[in-house]
Amino acid sequence: MTQHRTAQPPTATRDGRRSPKRPARLAAAAAAGLLLAACTGPANMEPPNVDVPTPLPAGIDFSPDASPAVPDTSCNPLASYNPGAVTAEQARAQLDDPEQISIGISQSTNLMGYRDPETNRLAGFDIDVATAMVKAIMGDETKVRWVPMISDDREPALADDRVDMVVRTMSITCKRWENVEFSSEYFRAGQRLLVAKDSEIEGLASMTGEQQVCTGASSTSVGNIAAVNTEVQPVTVPDFNDCLVLLQQGTVDAVAIDDTILAGMAVQDPTLHIVGEAFSQESYGIAFQKGNTDLARFVNGALAAMIADGTWQTAYDTWLKVPLGVDAAAPTTTYRD
Amino acid sequence: VLAALRFTPGQLRGVLAIVAALILGAGITGMTAILAKSAVIEETTSQSGRLSVAALQLYQALSQADATAASSYLTGGTPSEEMNDSYREAMRDATVALATAAGEVRSPADTELVAQLNARLPVYTGLVETARTFNRLGEPVGATYQEQASTLMRQEMLPSAHDLQENALGQLSESRTHAEAFPWAAAALTIAALGTLVWAQLWLSRKTNRVLNLGLVGATVLMVGFAGWLAMASLASGNHTERSHDDGAGPLELLSQAEITAQQARAEESLLLIARGEDNDAAVRYEEHITELIGEGRLLDRLDAEFGDDPELSASIDTAREAAETWSSGHGEVVKLAREGSYTDAVALAVGDEETSLSTSFDALNDALTAATKTSADRFADATNDAQRSLSGAAAGLAALALGALICAAVGIQMRVAEYYA
Repeated sequence: MTQHRTAQPPTATRDGRRSPKRPARLAAAAAAGLLLAACTGPANMEPPNVDVPTPLPAGIDFSPDASPAVPDTSCNPLASYNPGAVTAEQARAQLDDPEQISIGISQSTNLMGYRDPETNRLAGFDIDVATAMVKAIMGDETKVRWVPMISDDREPALADDRVDMVVRTMSITCKRWENVEFSSEYFRAGQRLLVAKDSEIEGLASMTGEQQVCTGASSTSVGNIAAVNTEVQPVTVPDFNDCLVLLQQGTVDAVAIDDTILAGMAVQDPTLHIVGEAFSQESYGIAFQKGNTDLARFVNGALAAMIADGTWQTAYDTWLKVPLGVDAAAPTTTYRD
Repeated sequence: VLAALRFTPGQLRGVLAIVAALILGAGITGMTAILAKSAVIEETTSQSGRLSVAALQLYQALSQADATAASSYLTGGTPSEEMNDSYREAMRDATVALATAAGEVRSPADTELVAQLNARLPVYTGLVETARTFNRLGEPVGATYQEQASTLMRQEMLPSAHDLQENALGQLSESRTHAEAFPWAAAALTIAALGTLVWAQLWLSRKTNRVLNLGLVGATVLMVGFAGWLAMASLASGNHTERSHDDGAGPLELLSQAEITAQQARAEESLLLIARGEDNDAAVRYEEHITELIGEGRLLDRLDAEFGDDPELSASIDTAREAAETWSSGHGEVVKLAREGSYTDAVALAVGDEETSLSTSFDALNDALTAATKTSADRFADATNDAQRSLSGAAAGLAALALGALICAAVGIQMRVAEYYA
C-alpha cells in the first residue's frame, strides 16, 4: 500500500483512502440511529390520564324513564276466587305434572326466597308459604320442583307451562291480572328507603336533586319514586341486589324497593337501616297460569288455613318480624265471588 | 493514437471512481440492511416480543383469575387449597406481566392501556375479597360483589388486555415483514459492481494487451463472496423468521385465544350458578364463548385444520377438543339441574371435587392448551434465535469484503495508471 500511495494521483488517493472509513462511519450512524429508535419511548411520553375506576353492575341506567306512576283503579286487584268446595284433586288436575308441582321462586332475595350460603338450602318467607301450599296440594312437601327465575320471567314461565305457580314477591296489579290468575293477598309490603344510619336522609320526600336513589329496573319503583319526589335522581339496575352493593360503595345514597327486600339487605349490614313511610302498597299474591282458577281457589283455601293455624305467623316471626321491627298480622282476604 | 492514450489515465481514474462507488454502495446498503434486519429480529426477541408475551400472559392470567375467583366463590366460604393457589398464582402472573408490559410499551395508546389495567386490578381484587368475606359470613350480598368483579373484568379489563395484545402482535408482525424482506437495493448494487468489474477487465485487457489485472480479479472474487454471503444470510434469516411465525407465533396466537375463550366460558358457567340460575345473560355469554371454541370453523377447528398434522401439537389439540366436548355436554346438565332447582347438584357437577365434575374436563382442556402453547412459544424463541444467529458476523464480514474489493480494485487500476508516469 505504501508503495502505491506515493505514486497515486491525488483523486485516486482521496477515493482510495477515505472510502474504508465511510462505510464504517455510515454504519456507526445507522447503528446509532437504530439504537436511538429503540430507546425512545416512555421517557418522552406524558403520563396517561386514567379515570378513577368505579365498579358498576352490568346494565345500570343513570337516567331511566321517570314518569310518575298513576294509580290503576280499573279493577279490585285484591279480590281473588272464593275457595268454595274445590278439592286438592281438582287442583292437581290443573298441574302440568300431577305427581310434582313446579314452583317459580327466587333464590337470591334474602329472607324471602334465597339459597342460604352456609347450608346451600332454600329458605325464606316465600319458601315457607310455598312449602305450605305444596303440602296442601300434594299432601307431601317433597313432591315439588323449585324453579329459580328472574322477576321478568314470572309471567312468561306461567304462560309457557314451565311452572304451575309463582311465589316470588309478586305484587298483585290489575295489569298483571290480564295475564295471570292471582291468589288472595298473602303479604302486604310497601316500598320504603334503605339508607346509611349516619346519613341525614329520613324519607323519600326529603331527598334532594343531588342525591341518587337506586331501584330495580323491572319494578314499578321508578314511577312510585317520581310520584313522591321529582327532584331525586333515580338509578336502575337489572338485579336489585346490585343496589345494596352500590349503596355500600357510596355510589348511590338510598335504595328504594319493597320493605321485605330492604329488610333482607339491612340484616346483612349493621350500618344501614330502613327509613320513612311506605310510599306504595305492594300486595303479594301467588300467581297461576290464566284459566287455572281451580288451583287458585284451592290455594286461597290453603292460605286461609295457614293463616288460621298460625303457620303464617310463625313464618313471619321467623323471617321478617325482627328486620322490619313490627308485629304484623296476615292481611284480611276478600273474594270476588 | 498518442492523443487518445494521453486521456487514458483520466479514463482509468474514471473507471476506478465508478467501480469504487458501486462497491461502496453495495457494501453500505448490504451492511445496513443486515444491521437493520438484525435490529428488527433483536426487537422481536426483546421489546415487541416481550410486550407480546407479556400482553398474552396478562390476558390469560386475568381470564384465569376471574374463572377461578368465580368457581371458588361457589364452593362456599371455604375454597379448596388448590383453588386458592390457582387464584393467587393467576394474580401474581397478571401483576408480573403487567409490570413487564409497562416496561416495554412504546406508544401512548399502549401506555394508557397498561395504566387503565393497573388502576383496575386493585379494584378487582378488592371486590373479590369483599365477595369472599361476605360469603364466609353467610351473607348473600357476596354473590353480587363477585358478579360486579366479573363485570369489571369482562367489560373493562379483558378488553384492555385484548387491545394491548392486538397492538403488540401487530408490531411483531410488522417487524416480521421487515425481517423477511430481501435487501434488493444491496443486491442490485452488488450485481452492478460485479458487472462493472468484469467490463473493466475486458476493457483493460483490450487497451493494454494484458489478459489479467490481479487487482481487479481479486476485487471480483471478493465481490462474488460478498454477493454469496449477502444472499445466504438474508435468505436464511428470512426462512427462520418465517418459521418463527408459521410454527411458533401462528399456533401461539390461536392457542392462547382458545385458552382465554375457555377461561371466559368457565367464568360465565360459574356466574350462572352464582346468580342462582337467575342470570340469563351469563348463560348467553357462555354459549357465545363455547361456540367460539368448539363451533364449526372456530378456534379448535382452525387449530385442527392448520396444525392437525403437526406431530407435537396434534395430540394436544385432539385432547383439548375431546375435553371441551365433554365439558360442553356436561354444561347442559348443569343448566338443567340449576333450572330445575337442584342447585346443590348443579354446583357439585360444575365445580365439585369428584372425578365426574366438569372441573376434570375443564382442567384437561386447559392443560392440553397450555402444553401446546408452551411448545409453540419455545419454537418461536428457537426460530428467532436461529434467525439472529444466521446474521451474526454478516455485517462485519460484508464490510470487510467490500473494503477488500475496493482496495484491490484501486490497487489494480492504480498500477496501470502508474505505468503512464513510469
